[in-house]
Amino acid sequence: MKDAIAFAFLGLGAGSFFALMATGLVVAYKGSGVINFAHGSVAMYAAFTFNYLRIDGRLRLPWVDILPTHQVNLPVQITISSGGKVNVWLAVLLALAMSALLGVGMHYLVFRPLRNAAPLGKVIGAIGVMLYLQGVALVNFGSENPQPKSILLPDTLFKNFLGFGKPMPGENLGLFIMAVLVGAVLWFNYKYTRFGLATRAAAGNEKGAVLLGYSPERLALFNWIIAAMTAGLAGVFVGSITGALTPTKFTTLIVPALGAALIGSLSSVPIAIAGGVGIGMIQTVTSTWMTGKSWFPDWLQSGATDAIPLVIIVLTLFLRGKSLPIRGNIEERRLPLSPYPKRIGWHVAILVPLGVVLAYGLPGDFVFAGLSGKWSFAFMTSLIAAMLMLSYVLLAGYVGQISMVQLSIAGVSAFFMARMSANGVPSPQDPFAVSGPGLPWPIGATLGIIVAIAVGVLLGIPALRIRGVQLAVVTIAAAVALQTLYFDNSKLTNLMAGSNAAVPPPTFFGVDVGSTGPRGLTDSPKFVTFCVIVLAAMCVIVSNLRRGSTGRRFLAVRANERAAASAGIDVARTKLLAFGIASGLAGVAGVMTAFQQQQISSSNWVYFAGLIALAFAYLGGITSVAGALIGGMLTGSGLISVFGSHQSSGLHTYTPLIGGVGMILTAIIHPSGQAMLFQPLLQYFGRWLKAARVPEWLVVARRLGPYVVLGLALGAIGINPWRTDEWSRPWMMLVGVLLVLFVRSIVVRIRSGGHEPSSDSPAEVSA
Amino acid sequence: MNLLTTSGLSVTFGGLRAVNEVDLEVEQGKLVGLIGPNGAGKTTFIDAITGFVPTTGRIEFKDIEIGPLPVHKRARLGLGRTWQSLELFDDLTIEENVQVAAEKQTTGSFLLDLVRPGRRRDRDGVDFAFEVLGIGDLANKHPNEISQGQRKLVSAARALAARPDLVCMDEPAAGLDTSESQELGRRLRRIIDAGITIFLVDHDMGLVLDVCDYIYVIEFGVKIAEGTPDQVKRDPRVIEAYLGSSARDN
Repeated sequence: MKDAIAFAFLGLGAGSFFALMATGLVVAYKGSGVINFAHGSVAMYAAFTFNYLRIDGRLRLPWVDILPTHQVNLPVQITISSGGKVNVWLAVLLALAMSALLGVGMHYLVFRPLRNAAPLGKVIGAIGVMLYLQGVALVNFGSENPQPKSILLPDTLFKNFLGFGKPMPGENLGLFIMAVLVGAVLWFNYKYTRFGLATRAAAGNEKGAVLLGYSPERLALFNWIIAAMTAGLAGVFVGSITGALTPTKFTTLIVPALGAALIGSLSSVPIAIAGGVGIGMIQTVTSTWMTGKSWFPDWLQSGATDAIPLVIIVLTLFLRGKSLPIRGNIEERRLPLSPYPKRIGWHVAILVPLGVVLAYGLPGDFVFAGLSGKWSFAFMTSLIAAMLMLSYVLLAGYVGQISMVQLSIAGVSAFFMARMSANGVPSPQDPFAVSGPGLPWPIGATLGIIVAIAVGVLLGIPALRIRGVQLAVVTIAAAVALQTLYFDNSKLTNLMAGSNAAVPPPTFFGVDVGSTGPRGLTDSPKFVTFCVIVLAAMCVIVSNLRRGSTGRRFLAVRANERAAASAGIDVARTKLLAFGIASGLAGVAGVMTAFQQQQISSSNWVYFAGLIALAFAYLGGITSVAGALIGGMLTGSGLISVFGSHQSSGLHTYTPLIGGVGMILTAIIHPSGQAMLFQPLLQYFGRWLKAARVPEWLVVARRLGPYVVLGLALGAIGINPWRTDEWSRPWMMLVGVLLVLFVRSIVVRIRSGGHEPSSDSPAEVSA
Repeated sequence: MNLLTTSGLSVTFGGLRAVNEVDLEVEQGKLVGLIGPNGAGKTTFIDAITGFVPTTGRIEFKDIEIGPLPVHKRARLGLGRTWQSLELFDDLTIEENVQVAAEKQTTGSFLLDLVRPGRRRDRDGVDFAFEVLGIGDLANKHPNEISQGQRKLVSAARALAARPDLVCMDEPAAGLDTSESQELGRRLRRIIDAGITIFLVDHDMGLVLDVCDYIYVIEFGVKIAEGTPDQVKRDPRVIEAYLGSSARDN
C-alpha cells in the first residue's frame, strides 16, 4: 500500500498536466459553449514555440507562406535573438503570448462565426483548428522533434518523498503547485470578479447578459484567450514528462483532461483540477503498481490506463443523463436537412461502370500515361474511406449521434478477421505467424463484421442517455481505449511486438481479387472492382434505409427525441439499431482496409484518423450518401489529394493545413457540405445540356469564348509556377481556363450588385 | 366507460409540486377539457400522463396501470399527444411526418426497408388523419414551407395517424384568432365523431367552454373545480382564480 501511494505521487506530474488542460476546457466551455477538441493542439503549438525559441531564437508565426512565388513572401517567423537561445522566461512569455494569439484567432475566425451552428458543426470547427495547427507545425517546425526539458525545479530529485521510500522528480511537484495556483486564480476570478460573474451570467442566459450591458462576444473572446493561455502553460511547463514533441502531441492526452472537465460538469474549475490530478495518479498507480499484482487480469495489462478515463466519463455522463431530453432543453441548432435520395438505380448504373473503367484504366496506360500504381492505390483508399464515411452519414447525418469511434470499430472488425484467418503457419511475408482457426475469408470477414456490430451496439448504450458533443467525448475516449485495449494488446492479438497482423487475399471461386496486382504493386484492378461493387451495395443499403420507414424513424429521432417518443417510436431501440448498422458499415470498411493493406497494425486505426474521417465526411456532406462519396474522394491520400500532390509536388506537406481550413470554412459557410453545393449545379447543367441546341451554344460561346481563349493562353504560358513539366502543361491550360472563368464570375457578381446571403449562413445577431 | 383515470397524481420538481394529487377521469367518446391560468401545471399534467416526467399516484389507461411505462409504449397503447411548440420533424415531408407515427416498427420492417423502401403500408392511419383535418393537399410539402396554422393541423394529424383512443392536445388554439379558433373547434368535434376521445388543455376559455363536454380546472397544480361548462362557468372558485381577472379584463 505504501508503494501504491508512492507511485501515485509519481503520477502527480501527468495529473497536473491533465488538470491544467481540463481547466482550459472548462474556461472555453463557460465562455462559448464549445468543447474545444483542439485544446491539445494549442498546447502543442505553444510547446513548439517555446522549444524552438530555446533552440534557434526564432518565433514561428501560426501560419505558413502560401504565396506561390519567391518574390513576394508572407512573414512566417520573427528572429528574437540572432545568437540562438532566448532567455527561458522571455521564451515562456512569448509562448504564452502565442497561445493568447491563437485564442484570439480561434474566437474571431472559427467559433464566433460558428456560434449558431449545430453541435456537430462546432466539433468539425474544432477538428479543423486541430488539423490546421498540426499542419502549420509540420511545415514550420519541420520534422525535428525536440526533447523538452523541465522548467520548474529541473534538477531537483526528492530521494524519499514524504517518507514513502520512492524518489520523485521535482518537476512533478512544481507542475502540481502551478496547477493549483492557476486553478485558484481562475476559481477566484470566476467566483468573485465582475468578469467572472458576467461570464457565468452569459453562460446561463446570453440574452439576459446582453440586456444587463455585457457583450457576450467580448466575454467569449476573453475566455478564449484565458483558455488558450492555460493550454500554453500546460504545454510549456509539462516539460519532459510527456516525452518528445511532435505535431500530433497532446491530442490523445486530451481525453483524460476531458474526463476531468466533465466530472465538474464543464463548469467547476476546482473539480476539474482535482479530477485531473486524480486521474493522473490513478493512471500511474494502475500502470505501475496494479499491473504488477498477481490478481490483475492478464489481458488488461495493456490498455488499463486508457480505460480509466473512459469509465469515468461514461459513468459521470450516464448517471447525469436522461433517457429523453427534458423540456426546454432541445433548442439546439439542427443539422442540415437530409435530402431524399432519388434515382438510385440510375446512379448505380452510371457510377459502377465508371468505377470499373477507372479501375482498369488507372494502373495501366489508359488514362494516366504509364504512371505507377499510386492512382489505383489512391482510388482504393478513396472507395474504402467512402465506406467508412457512410457509417458516419448514417449515424451522425441521419440519427444525429456524433460518434468518433467508427474507425476504431472498423479496426475491430479487421483485427478480428485477421485473427480468424490466421493459421499459425509462418511464411516469408509473415515470419511470426499468429495462431488461429484459419477460417476462409468470407467466414472470417463475416465474423469480424459481427464483432464490430456487437462492439458498436455496446458503445451505443451510453448514447441512450448522453447526447450531442458529450457523446462525442465518450466516443473519443472509447476510441483511445480500444487502441490500447485491443489493437496494441498482444495478449488479445497474439502479435509479436512491432509485427503486423497478416490478412490473406480474398478470392472468388479461385480468382484472386486481392489488392496486389500483376506488377507486384498494390494496384490490382480486380480489387478496385471489388471495392466499387461493395461500396455500391452499401450506398444502396443506406439510401434504401433513408427512404423507408427506418429512415423516417431515424430522422424523427434526430429532429426531436421527445416528439419521436410521443409518436410511438422507441428512441432507445432506434439509436441502438443505428449504432448497429453504422458499425456494420464501418466493419465492412475495416475488412476492405485489411484486404487493401494486407498487413494491419494499430497505426491503421488511430483515433485521430477517425476524427479526420468524420471531418472529411462533413466536408463532403454528412447528411447524404453523395456526401460520403465526395468525402471519400477528398480524403487524405485519396484520389483528389494524390492528384493535387502530383500536380504540385510540394503540396502534400500542406494537405492537413488545407484540410483544416476547408473544414472550418465548410462548417461556417456551407454546413451541408460539398454534395449539396454540387447537386443543384449538376442538375442545372444537366437540364441545360438536354435542352440546349445550336443557338444556345452560340450564345454561350460568344459570351465566354474570349475568356476561355484567354485562360488557355495564360495556362499555356504557365500560370502555375510550382510545376510545369511536360505532363502537367495540358492540365495547366485547363486550370487557367477555370481560374479566368472563376474571376469573371466574381467580377460579374460584384457588378450586378452583390451576393445574396445563402439561407444557411449564420444569422447576424444584432446586439 | 372511463378511458383514462388518474388518482392522486403528483409531479414534483425539486421542492416544487407542479401537479398536486389530481384525480381526473376522461370518459370515452367525450371531449374533456383542462383549463387553468398560466403556470397552473397544465402542460406538466400532459407530460405526466404521457410519460415525460416521473410521477407518483396512479394513472390508468384502458384499465391498465401505465405509470411505469415509457413514452413510446403509452403511445402505442393508444395515448397520443400534440405539442404546444408543435415539434414537427423538419427533414420529413408532411406525409412522412404523419406516416412515421402510423407505422409499426418491427425487425421485419427494417429488413424490408433494405430491399423495398418505397412500398406503401399503413396508409389507413395517414389517410384518416389527412381527411379528418383536411390537409391532404400539403402531403408533399416540408414543415418549413407551410403556415403556422397548418403546422398545428399537421401536429394534430401526426397524433391521430396512429389511431389512438385518446389524444391529449396541448394548447392547440394558441396563436389562433377567433375565427380560426372556431374552425378548430369544429375539427375537434369531427375527431370526436370519428371515435377518438380528446383531452384538451388550453387557456382559451372561449374554445374550451364552447366545445368541451366536461371541464377540469387546476390552479398551482391543484384541482379546484370540475363539471360541465355551465357548472364551471358559475363556480365561484373558478371565477376567483381564473375567470375573475380575465373576465374583468375583457
